[in-house]
Amino acid sequence: MAGAALTLSTFFRAARTRRVWLLLAALALPFRVPSAAAAQTVEELLHILRLEATPIGALPQIAMPMPASRNHNYWGIRLQAGERRGRTGPDLRALAGGIDLQYRGGSIFGITGGYQSRDCELAGEDCGGHTFFGARGRFNVISGGPTIGAVLGDYSATSTLGTEIGFGYAPDVMPELDACTFDIGVPLSLAMLQTVRLVSYVTPSIVWDVRCSDDGPPTRASFLAAIGVGVQQIGARGLDVYLGLQKIFRSGTGYQFGLSVTYVRLP
Amino acid sequence: MARDAATPRGVASGAVVFLIVVSVFAAGCRGRWSVDELEPDRIETTVFLIGDAGEPDPREVGAPLDSVAVHASEAPDRSLIVFLGDNVYPAGIPEEGRSEWADSRRRLAAQVAAVPARARAIFVPGNHDWADEGPFGLYSIRLQEEMIASLAGDRDVRMLPGNGCPGPVAVDIGRLRLVVLDTQWWLHDYIVRDDESACTTDVGEVTAALREQVRPDREDRVVLVAGHHPLMTGGEHGGYCGITGPFHRFGGDSQDIISTANRTLRDSLESAFTEHPPLAYVAGHEHNQQVLRGGRAADYLLVSGAGSYAKTSCAVRLRESYYVSQHRSGFMRLDVMRNRGVLLRVYRYTSRGTGGMSYSRWLEQP
Repeated sequence: MAGAALTLSTFFRAARTRRVWLLLAALALPFRVPSAAAAQTVEELLHILRLEATPIGALPQIAMPMPASRNHNYWGIRLQAGERRGRTGPDLRALAGGIDLQYRGGSIFGITGGYQSRDCELAGEDCGGHTFFGARGRFNVISGGPTIGAVLGDYSATSTLGTEIGFGYAPDVMPELDACTFDIGVPLSLAMLQTVRLVSYVTPSIVWDVRCSDDGPPTRASFLAAIGVGVQQIGARGLDVYLGLQKIFRSGTGYQFGLSVTYVRLP
Repeated sequence: MARDAATPRGVASGAVVFLIVVSVFAAGCRGRWSVDELEPDRIETTVFLIGDAGEPDPREVGAPLDSVAVHASEAPDRSLIVFLGDNVYPAGIPEEGRSEWADSRRRLAAQVAAVPARARAIFVPGNHDWADEGPFGLYSIRLQEEMIASLAGDRDVRMLPGNGCPGPVAVDIGRLRLVVLDTQWWLHDYIVRDDESACTTDVGEVTAALREQVRPDREDRVVLVAGHHPLMTGGEHGGYCGITGPFHRFGGDSQDIISTANRTLRDSLESAFTEHPPLAYVAGHEHNQQVLRGGRAADYLLVSGAGSYAKTSCAVRLRESYYVSQHRSGFMRLDVMRNRGVLLRVYRYTSRGTGGMSYSRWLEQP
């Protein structure tokens, strides 16, 4: 772990003036490992860096949108904050805002823009951050609930199964390195109670980093899982709050905790 | 300071606060729907809304009809029972002599029998009453109208709109104005008018008449509009509920909210309501009970189509939902108070017939 931390820190500093691949090659030398294994380590670092830098890894997932009238399209706004802790290297913090369109009561399409920074105490002079942007489509496949409702003894329970596709982009994550990611997930939400809705959710996903800089390693995939709880319709009918926890199944990525607040404007 | 908020203690504190807020809200959700009994003198008119009751158990009356009869018999003179369509499953009243005729009559008779003496009742046509949306629909509707009159005897029980007409028909009872529509007329793919149709059958004129009828003619007027098809739903016809739900999103069936024909119907009604939205638009069609925020169309949208336990189905809680009851039979009761106030009460029952009031809300504050 210590070696990995040193590698990452050196990586951040040296990348200011050199092309990324040259840096990665230099970083691989001190480890005196076979070249294939070294390349794998470097690829792993870059892969993780990209995942963590774009909205998919920087921000918490939220529950599938509450079903709504088929008669209308609803606009909503979203504020999100995420913090990744326990990773190899400085903690990461992100703040973002977004706009969502819920189409005909089910599927939702949203864009996100935000900023991610590193923990300055650990990162030292490299604690600067970067912006990130994303787009996401979340498709309501099945909404039901009688079976779950009977099990829970709450006949207002609603389970929602969907699919989601997201794209993330973060320019200048490091000098000459932009990050691009693409993910597909299968979110499942369970909401209960009549007035204020208590919702719990889980979203397993697979995420790819896509090469969008001049140089870099080939595309790789990682598994990711998010769980969370939230309350919907608090006070105002369109106001929801979610607490989420996310794990990328790669070593040294820690966990991400996050808070999301969404508001859907009803006519 | 920014760092303090991100420490494990800060995160833990945030989580604790979040859970406390959740607990408070969850606790606050319990038992809020109890309501004190109203003084009977203050009630001017009581409207019972029960839809899709055309599948009664052949061996017993069943809780919703039985309970409506008991409620209405407490004050029959001020009671109006509105059957919100699909009064006879599966395909309305056939020609006399057909093998299904006797059973169809039995289904209708069970509902007419639930209307106490001196109480009034209105049967609104539904898609199944139109011969299950078949070519015989217009004639099946007329047969049902005749059969209701025959079964009712001297009671004020009738089908509205009659003669296979689209409506609207306005019924004024004190402060209440109930405007009745035959929404299947708008959606039907076969004959909807003939030489016997002594009514307006032009969509534009029907919409204009509706616009005129929902306009309050007195300051304290309470306007309700009743039709079989809902303007909003979290049920199967809205593309929700289980693995069959998504198939209702393709818009191929006019009975589904998303279809073009249904949208035309809803757009026409909503355009008529724009200037003077009624207090509530009440409907059946979905075999559950929903109380929904009406938005621009009406203050409230009520779905009360759980008149037959055998037909009850799923309903998803929408963001517009105030209340949802699924897989339970039941009916709704609206008490129109003398000077001001309209109280909604929702009753739901299990398969064993146990149950009672499950939700109440003042639609118009007293």
